[in-house]
Amino acid sequence: MLKSKVIMVKTRSGKILKIVREHYLRDDIDNGLFGGKLEQHPELQNDLVPSEHFLIPDTNVVLHQMDVLEHSCIMNVIMLQTVLHEVKHRSSPVYKRIKLLCANPDKKFFVFTNEHCIDTYSARVKGESTNDMNDRLIRIAAKYYDKCLKDRNQTAVLVTNDRANCAFAKKDGLNALTIEQYVKNIVGYPELLDKLAKADEAIEVDKSISYPEHLKLSQVQAGVKSGRFFQGKLGISRENYLEGKIITHGEDGKEILIQGRLNLNRAVHEDVVAVEMLPEDQWSNPSGVILDVTVQPGAEIADAEKKKSTGVPTGKVVGIIKRSWRPYCGILESFGSPEMTRHLFTPAEKRIPRIRIETRQAKTLIGQRIVVAIDSWPRFSKYPQGHFVKALGSVGDKDTENEVLLLEHDVAHEPFSEAVLNCLPPSDWSIPNQEFAVREDFRDLPICSVDPPGCTDIDDCLHHKDLGDGTVEVGVHIADVTHFIRPGTPIDNEAATRGTTVYLCDKRIDMVPELLSSNLCSLRDDGDRLAFSCIWIMKPNSEIVSTRFCKSVIRSKSSMTYAQAQMQIDDKTANDPVTMGLRGLNKLAKILKRARIEKGALSLSSPEVRFHVDSETHDPIDLQNKELRDTNSMVEEFMLLANCSVAKKIQQEFPECAVLRRHPEPPQSNFDVFLNAAKSRGLELNAATSRDLAVSLDRTEEPKEGIHSYISTLLRILATRCMMQAVYFCSGLESDFRHYGLAAPIYTHFTSPIRRYSDIMVHRLLAASIGADKTFSELLNKTEIQNVCKNLNFRHRMAQYAQRASVGLHTQLFFRSKVVNESGYVIFVRKNAIQVLIPKYGLEGTVFMDRDFEGNTTVNADDLKYIEDKCEITVRGVKLCVFDEVTVQISHDATNVQHQRINLKLVYPKITGISIPSSV
Amino acid sequence: MAKVMLGESEKWFIIHGIQDDMRNDGRSCEDYRHIEVETGVVSNTHGSSRLRLGSSELLVGVKVELGSPDPKAPTEGLIHFHVDCSPNADPSFQGRGGEDLSANISCILTRIYCNKSSIDLNTLGIIPHKQCWVVHVDVLILECGGNLLDAVSVAVKAALHNTGVPNIQVTDGDEGTQEISLPDDPNDVKFINTINAPVLVTISKVGSRHVVDASAEEELCCNASLVMGVTKRGRTTGMRKMGGGSLDPESIPEMIGTGKNIGRQLHISLDKLLKTEQGMAEDIEKAGYL
Repeated sequence: MLKSKVIMVKTRSGKILKIVREHYLRDDIDNGLFGGKLEQHPELQNDLVPSEHFLIPDTNVVLHQMDVLEHSCIMNVIMLQTVLHEVKHRSSPVYKRIKLLCANPDKKFFVFTNEHCIDTYSARVKGESTNDMNDRLIRIAAKYYDKCLKDRNQTAVLVTNDRANCAFAKKDGLNALTIEQYVKNIVGYPELLDKLAKADEAIEVDKSISYPEHLKLSQVQAGVKSGRFFQGKLGISRENYLEGKIITHGEDGKEILIQGRLNLNRAVHEDVVAVEMLPEDQWSNPSGVILDVTVQPGAEIADAEKKKSTGVPTGKVVGIIKRSWRPYCGILESFGSPEMTRHLFTPAEKRIPRIRIETRQAKTLIGQRIVVAIDSWPRFSKYPQGHFVKALGSVGDKDTENEVLLLEHDVAHEPFSEAVLNCLPPSDWSIPNQEFAVREDFRDLPICSVDPPGCTDIDDCLHHKDLGDGTVEVGVHIADVTHFIRPGTPIDNEAATRGTTVYLCDKRIDMVPELLSSNLCSLRDDGDRLAFSCIWIMKPNSEIVSTRFCKSVIRSKSSMTYAQAQMQIDDKTANDPVTMGLRGLNKLAKILKRARIEKGALSLSSPEVRFHVDSETHDPIDLQNKELRDTNSMVEEFMLLANCSVAKKIQQEFPECAVLRRHPEPPQSNFDVFLNAAKSRGLELNAATSRDLAVSLDRTEEPKEGIHSYISTLLRILATRCMMQAVYFCSGLESDFRHYGLAAPIYTHFTSPIRRYSDIMVHRLLAASIGADKTFSELLNKTEIQNVCKNLNFRHRMAQYAQRASVGLHTQLFFRSKVVNESGYVIFVRKNAIQVLIPKYGLEGTVFMDRDFEGNTTVNADDLKYIEDKCEITVRGVKLCVFDEVTVQISHDATNVQHQRINLKLVYPKITGISIPSSV
Repeated sequence: MAKVMLGESEKWFIIHGIQDDMRNDGRSCEDYRHIEVETGVVSNTHGSSRLRLGSSELLVGVKVELGSPDPKAPTEGLIHFHVDCSPNADPSFQGRGGEDLSANISCILTRIYCNKSSIDLNTLGIIPHKQCWVVHVDVLILECGGNLLDAVSVAVKAALHNTGVPNIQVTDGDEGTQEISLPDDPNDVKFINTINAPVLVTISKVGSRHVVDASAEEELCCNASLVMGVTKRGRTTGMRKMGGGSLDPESIPEMIGTGKNIGRQLHISLDKLLKTEQGMAEDIEKAGYL
């Protein structure tokens, strides 16, 4: 039967359209009850439903209670087409999840196309809203199922969240329950209750707080359009969870500061929000206070000091445009009795507020890492409301903590799928003969690799040969990963999503499966390998005579560590071709480096440490600073050279779609704090250009009276933090190619295709440009490339954070049963604390100046003097200034199982009531 | 116009018949042929009607859309008429053949509708100077069987009566901007008030008498005719003389009187029909064309 469906829509250009769709009704639509997907006798029992029953959830249940529906005991569910449609319209992530559930044969979810079934169709009644109509359609379908099931003595239970709908259904004689009622009375699965997202009415009202109401989306959009509001993604400060900023859209993206709970108005880190500017007299400055949630829960520094004459643009959140809530890892707060059901959850990410959840398993969950999802944030609740999703394992356990940091940084760490593994060559793969025909044979050259110890994914090799006519041949050979990873295959797609290999202290999350990363592609010295080579003819003064690129077959003569290579170079008796080559390379590298620094390349520093890991327990037993040898910088120099050469080549051949890497020049304001800190110690630095900065940093290496010699390294560490992130981009869409840190006009990544996807793209472009491979449409599509680059940039950043977090975790494990006194340096001075860096452990921490070493607040404001311009703080007559050397006691604080952390306590200089007495 | 071939004697036969108040299909001079009207026949319009008068067949569709008002009448909406002659009706309409006729008809329709007394255009205004409803009335002539003008006007009135304009809401936005929001329910509409909408009555002078609703044959015998727009109350909203012949001034008032009279009767029976159609709304199956 033919009906028509009428919808009115308003288009973006303001037109109003009437759309009529033909809608056909059928009488032969499967209802799933007879030999369909649904079981004949559903097993799940419920105290409120006496008979065997099937579930029909309504839209709100699907939208808000996916965690319940995903539980393994919920089976035999009838998903109505009406519900799916509405869910699709309202939330695409939930829609994806429900589609997955429906596709899973074990869950026995049946999709009933009720709107096309002649028994369950109903036209719209006049004056009925879309919502009401959908509810009515759901009730009609439930009634239909009830009728069908009558003979079998079974029922269909309509599960709804809507009181009115529930009442209507009951009036119609249907079996209708709210989701709370249903879940509470399920027999045998008490843990399901925790997964319930809370309905708004059930939320306890916190009288102490009332957030301003959010504006409606239409009002917000109109406001943004007219320029009254500003739209941007909220970034909460890492140091103070009550302070955030947005960078507005548009050309002149400016920063707006948002301070305080009420001004943030329930916005969570990374939400897209609309912000209204405060009047200029209320503008404020980013506070210098460090807010430490874990020391004093709920402690908030009164905003007494807000009134300052000059401030930066400050605003308040008036509406939320898009939430970007995700499940968060964290721990349950331990205060409150475990018998209580209401608890606070502290996320591992400091920038996320604590979340109120309800659970009956508090006893078992305390001391565990758990995952919690936010459901809502009502106006009268200080914290957002959420529900428990799953437990990961106990706090402090290394595997659990690793899992947490991988989840938190969105690092895909599950094993590779079948489809991906199917793309791999057999493990006994050897180079086929036809490859020798198309590749150059470099197997006789004295090629070797130099890498850190324990490295199994070797992606670069070098060689150096004296040509005898006053020139030398230098080659960089890179693993030919693109030979194995063909575009468009599952393995290629997987690598593109993962973007990069993530190195944690004790494990490596590979971008490509191990067979490739540690064997077939890894340029080990145990056989022939395929390579992509970059060969230069150079004069001894490092001037390049010619450059060429080719696919090749190589055989590495030796895989060395940096230390081994250094020893060979220094060993006067060794005179084999590999050693001779190394010496030649080393000499050239030094010339190259000097030239580069001459041009203004920065040599920055960041404290890096390496853990010695116990081979059995995998716990860290010792750690050492990474040493820098000549050979490190030798390899680096040639990799830089190769990258620059390749960048030039692909940009020449594919000016519109080359994948390049650029490092934007940081705005001068980034350096303000840094320059000010240096100035307070009498060091005049100049950061006008990268060359100025490099020169003035070098000048600090000269010993100066009154300052320790480590200051130069400290300054380099701090300068690193002023820099911008280097990013990949597509050359056709940007005009500025410069790499600030390297002082190179053009740069890309070519030398590590095993662990970076960007290099794979560069390999493909380069191969196409020398005719060694074919191009394909995605390779030459600039928007496509830009999208991949965006993902790569995100993945790289996340990998970096994960790496950092992993080091932090291991430092914690290392200090688990130790108390060590160590000297460190003040790197920042805040209003109430100093930030101390301990170079030996690469550890950075806060020492509070307003409380004693046990964490009790004892210092009153009169004893605390903070001078921002001079970067100094005076406590009880003792002056501490930036870059001062201090001695701190490092210990692992496990008094609170939930918050294990590294504690720093001041030992020297002695400050009564703050530093610890030397006898302790 | 449709070509009917008539011999000289056939013409005289018709003229003489009319002289005796006996037309060749049995009607008297002031009788209309049977009219068949149906509304709401095209679902993707906002209003529509189908009409059959003798062998004249028409389809009218009405679409409304947002547009900007005429600067001279900032608070009013607009009505545009467009007439399309299907080559099905007559082979001469092929290509641009029907243009003269359609321009003629739409011109007359515009003349009788676009004034305050026919339809209150203010009800179609939304935001003065900025936005208003633009009503597009599309007439499709499917078959010509005489007296097209009257048929078109009746069908247009029926279609307009059937037209539901979405009940949009105007909310004040920022800084004097206004936001238009659409109702959730597609049935939430306001019908156009057609109480004063005129119909056209054509009075054709044949010999010394005049007839209404002339058939195609009679039109060939007529020297001149008078077209007038008449509202339900009998008010004349427009008048036009058509045809090459001349009219005796003395007979004009008489013809106007007849026109008013006939127009009133036409309105009464049409309104009765439209009322029942609207009452039945969706319940009945439409005959339509299927």
